[in-house]
Amino acid sequence: MLRFIIRRVVIIIPMLFMVISLTWGLVRIAPGNFYSGEKKLAPAVEQNLRDKYGLDKPWYVQYRKVLWNMARFDFGDSLKYEGQSVNQILFRALPVSAVLGLSAYLLALLVGITTGTLAALRQNTWIDYASMTLAMLGISIPNFMLGPLLVLVFALTLFWLPPALWQGFPSRSIILPAITLSALYIAYIARLTRSGMLEVMRSDYIRTARAKGLSESQVVWRHGLRGGLLPVVSFSGPALAFLITGTVVVERVFALPGLGNYFINACFNRDEPLIIGIVAFIAVTILVFNLLVDIAYGFIDPRISY
Amino acid sequence: MTRNSPCVAAALILALSLISAGCAASAKNQIFFGKTDPPRDNVLRYVSGSEPETLDPQIPDLQNEARIFVALYEGLAEYDPKTGEPVPALAESWEVNKDSSEFVFHLRHTGRFSNGDPITARDFVYTIRRGLSPETASRSASLGHAIKYAQAYNSGGQFVFDPDSKTFLLEKDFGEDEGGTTKGGVAARRPPPPLSSLPVTSIGDEYPPTPENKTPIADTPFHQLMHSAARIVVPGDPKKRNQALDGNPKLKAAVAGKKLVPVEAKDIGVEAVDDYTLRISLVKPAPYFIGMMPHHFFRVVHQRTIEQFGHAWTDPKHIVTSGCFRMEAWKPYDRIVVARDPMNWDAQNVRLDGIVFYMLTDIPTMLNLYKAGELDATYNHTVPPAWLESMATMKDFMDARETATDYYRFNTTKGPTIDVRVRKALNMALDKQALADWRHVQPLIGVTPQGVFPGYPQPQGDVFDPEKAKRLLAEAGYRDAAGNFDPAKFSAAEVELITNSDGSNIPFAEFNQALWKRSLGITIQIRPMESKTFHAEVAKLDYKGMSRTGWGADYMDPFTFLDLYSTPTGNNGTGWWDPRYVELLDEANRTIDHQRRYEILAQAEQMVLDAQPIIPLVVGTTRWMKKPYVKGMYPNPLTLHSWKWVYIERDPAKWDYGVPNMTVSDRLR
Repeated sequence: MLRFIIRRVVIIIPMLFMVISLTWGLVRIAPGNFYSGEKKLAPAVEQNLRDKYGLDKPWYVQYRKVLWNMARFDFGDSLKYEGQSVNQILFRALPVSAVLGLSAYLLALLVGITTGTLAALRQNTWIDYASMTLAMLGISIPNFMLGPLLVLVFALTLFWLPPALWQGFPSRSIILPAITLSALYIAYIARLTRSGMLEVMRSDYIRTARAKGLSESQVVWRHGLRGGLLPVVSFSGPALAFLITGTVVVERVFALPGLGNYFINACFNRDEPLIIGIVAFIAVTILVFNLLVDIAYGFIDPRISY
Repeated sequence: MTRNSPCVAAALILALSLISAGCAASAKNQIFFGKTDPPRDNVLRYVSGSEPETLDPQIPDLQNEARIFVALYEGLAEYDPKTGEPVPALAESWEVNKDSSEFVFHLRHTGRFSNGDPITARDFVYTIRRGLSPETASRSASLGHAIKYAQAYNSGGQFVFDPDSKTFLLEKDFGEDEGGTTKGGVAARRPPPPLSSLPVTSIGDEYPPTPENKTPIADTPFHQLMHSAARIVVPGDPKKRNQALDGNPKLKAAVAGKKLVPVEAKDIGVEAVDDYTLRISLVKPAPYFIGMMPHHFFRVVHQRTIEQFGHAWTDPKHIVTSGCFRMEAWKPYDRIVVARDPMNWDAQNVRLDGIVFYMLTDIPTMLNLYKAGELDATYNHTVPPAWLESMATMKDFMDARETATDYYRFNTTKGPTIDVRVRKALNMALDKQALADWRHVQPLIGVTPQGVFPGYPQPQGDVFDPEKAKRLLAEAGYRDAAGNFDPAKFSAAEVELITNSDGSNIPFAEFNQALWKRSLGITIQIRPMESKTFHAEVAKLDYKGMSRTGWGADYMDPFTFLDLYSTPTGNNGTGWWDPRYVELLDEANRTIDHQRRYEILAQAEQMVLDAQPIIPLVVGTTRWMKKPYVKGMYPNPLTLHSWKWVYIERDPAKWDYGVPNMTVSDRLR
C-alpha cells in the first residue's frame, strides 16, 4: 500500500513537468502580449514594459525561470495585475471556488445517491422513470443555459434570490450557482448509483444477506450501498477536483471571484505566470484526488488490494 | 426510451411554463427596467468592468480603471458631468500663454490627501515625472509626451554635451529634429518656434492679460532654461542611436567625441514655481492639453507612500488617495468599496457616502443585477442592439452620441489597396446609412465623430455611389474588354477584412460583406481572429486589405482623432502618412483663434478623407441604464462621471423620468 502511494506521488512530478512545459509553450506560441490591445503603445512605452518583465531575454532563460519558480511553488508576479503575486491570487480565489465546489459536490452526492438508490429499488415504477428523466435533462441542459434560466425564475420573476455576485459564505448568493453547478453531477451520480445498485442488488451476497434474515434497510445500507457506490466513488474523486478548482461558466454567469474567472481572464490577458500557476494548481489537485480515490477503493471494496 | 416520453414531455412543459412566466413578467408595460427601490444606504452601486490592473492611476489606460480613478484621485481639472470638458478641481484657475505652449496652474490652498497631507505643486511635479519615468512603464505616458523633453525622458533619450564649450548641442543647429523624422525628402517648411522655446522677454508679453490682473508669475532659472533653444536628443540605446545618426551625417559628426547625458526627470518641463503654482512647458503648441488634465494619468499621487511601499502602495492597508472618495476595501474580481473622504477640500459638497464598484463584464449578468435592483447604474455599451427595441423606450435608458468612431483601416502598403482608387471605390460602394440603420446609430461621415465638437466645421467624405465606385475600379484595371468594371477580375483573395471576434464585430462585418456584394458583386472574405492575434497582425501591417477598428477620445478635442495619422506607426495602422498633414496639424495647434484652429484641423481631416486610408463606418453611441433615483449622472459623450456630483434622491417626485442626450449638437437640435 505504502509503496503504491509513493510510486504514484513520484509519478506526479514528471507529469507536472510536462503540463507546465506544454502550457508555457502554448502561451509563448499565442500571438499578442499582456500589454497589447486596441490602443497601441508608444514604442518607448512598450520597450519600458519589455525591459521591466525581461521579455527580451532568450527563451531558455525565461523557461528556466518558470521551472525554478515551479520547483519552489512560487509562481512569481502577475503580469497584468501590478504588484500582485500569483500565489496571492490563488489563495484569494481558491476559497470561493472551493466553497462553491464543495457545496455543489455535497448537493450532488446527497441528491444523486438518494434518487439513484430510490430509482434502483423501485425499478420500472414512476419514481424510476421520473428521476431518470430528470437526470437526462440534467445531463443535456448545459449550465450556461440552466444558470440564466434559474436566475430568470428565482431572481428576476420571484425575486427570492440574488441574481449574481458573491456575498461570502454562508449566504443566499451561493444557492443558485451551487444548484447550477451540481445539476450535471447530480444526474451522473444518480445514473451511476442506479446502475451500480441494480447490479449489486441482484448479486449473490445480497441474496445471502436476505437469506440470513436481515431487514431490507440493513441489506441496502450495510451491503448494497457499499458495493453499489463503487462507480460513484471513482467518478466523484476527479469530479471534486474539477468542481473546487473553478468552473469558468458558472463563475462568469454569476460573477463570482473564483479560480475559473481568473483563469479565463488570465488566458485573454496572456498573463503567463498566472496561467501557469493556475494550470499547475489544477493539475496537482486532479492528480492528488485521483490518488485519493484509488486509496479509497482499498477501504470500500474488500476485493481490491495493492 | 419511448416509455419515458410522457415524463419528458411533462418536464419540458414545466420548464417552458417557468420560462414563459419569467418572460411575461418582463414584458409588462413598464416605464423602468426592473425594481426602482432606492438602496437603503446612501451608497451608489455601480459596475466598473473588468478587474483593474492596478489602482495606480499613472499606469493603465482603459475605462474600467478610469471609472474608479475618478473617485479615488483628483487632478488639476475634473470632467464636467454633462460635457466631459475640463472644469477646475485642484487647480482653481489656469493661464495659457499666447500660443498655447505653456500653461500655469494656480492650485487651491485647501487640497488634502486622504492622510491629511496638503497637496502642493510639488506633488504634481512628482506625479507627472513619475508617470513619464521609464521604470513606471505607464501605458498612458504618451499623453504626457506633449511636455518638453518628456518623450525623451520616457524613452530613455540622451542629451549631447560638449565638454569643451560646456554647452549642449541644440536642435536648431541641425536641420532635423531627433535625427530624421522628416521622411521622403520633403523639404519641411520650418514652423516658427513655439513661444515656450524663445528667450523670456517679459512674462507680460507671453501671457494675455487676465481680467483679475493677477501678480505676474515669477520667472525662474528653470523657466529660462525651458525657454532656451531645444537641445538635441539622441536615443539611449546604442543600436538605435547609430541608426538615427546614420540618417543625419552632420549630426553624426557633431556627436562624435561628445559626452552623452541621459535625460532625467528634472529636465522635463514641469515646474513648481511656488507651493501653489505649477508651470508646464510644452514641446509645441497644444491647445487641447488642458482637456487632458482630468485624465487619470495627471491625477495626483502621494510621494511618500509610493517611496515607502513600492508596488504595494495601492494595497488598501497603505494606499493614500487624493480624490473625493477614499479606499475602504478591495476584493479582487468582486468589488471595490470607496467612502467619502472627509479630508477632501470639497467634502461638504460630496453627496454620496460611498460607492461600490462591482467588477463585472458579463452584460446579461449586469442587466440581471440592475433589474433585480442590486445595481444602480451600468456603464456604456451595456444594452445590446438586440435589446434596444424593448429597452430604448424605458425612462431609465441613457444614450448619447459618443466621442468614439468605428472604421475600417486599409493597408496602404500592400496589395490592391495601395491604389487610392480601390480604397475610394470600396468606401463609396458601402451603404453606411443601411449599416447605421441596422445598428440604430448614425453613419460616420468623416474621421472625427460629427456633432460632438461644437463649432467644428466637419468635412464630409465621399457619399454612397456604387456606379462611381465601379468606374474607379475599372480605371484601376479591373475591367473587361469593353472597359466596364468586371467583378471577376477583382481578386477577392487579395483584399480581405480582418476583425477581432469580440462583441458584434463579426455580424457587422457580415452585414458590410453583403452590402459590398450587392453594390459591386464582389465577395470580400472576412477573417475573424482572437483579439490579441488581431492586434499583432495590424501592428505589423501584415493584413491584406482591411482591418476593423475604433477609436475613443482621450480628451474632448478633434485632435485626439486626427493625431492618429501624425506618425506612420503607433495607432495609425494604415501605413498612410504625409508630412504635409503633420505640418497642417502643427499649424492648427499654433493658431490662437479657436475657430480658425478648427478650420485648419478640418483641412487636415479633409486630407485624410481624400487619401482614404480608412472607411468611416458609424459614430458610437453610449447606451446604458441608470435608475431614476440616481441624480447627477448624465449621458455624456465620455460616460465618465465625476462622482462628487452624483447623489441618490429618495423623493420620487424629483426623480429622472428620462434624461436628454448631453452631446452638445444633439442638445441644440
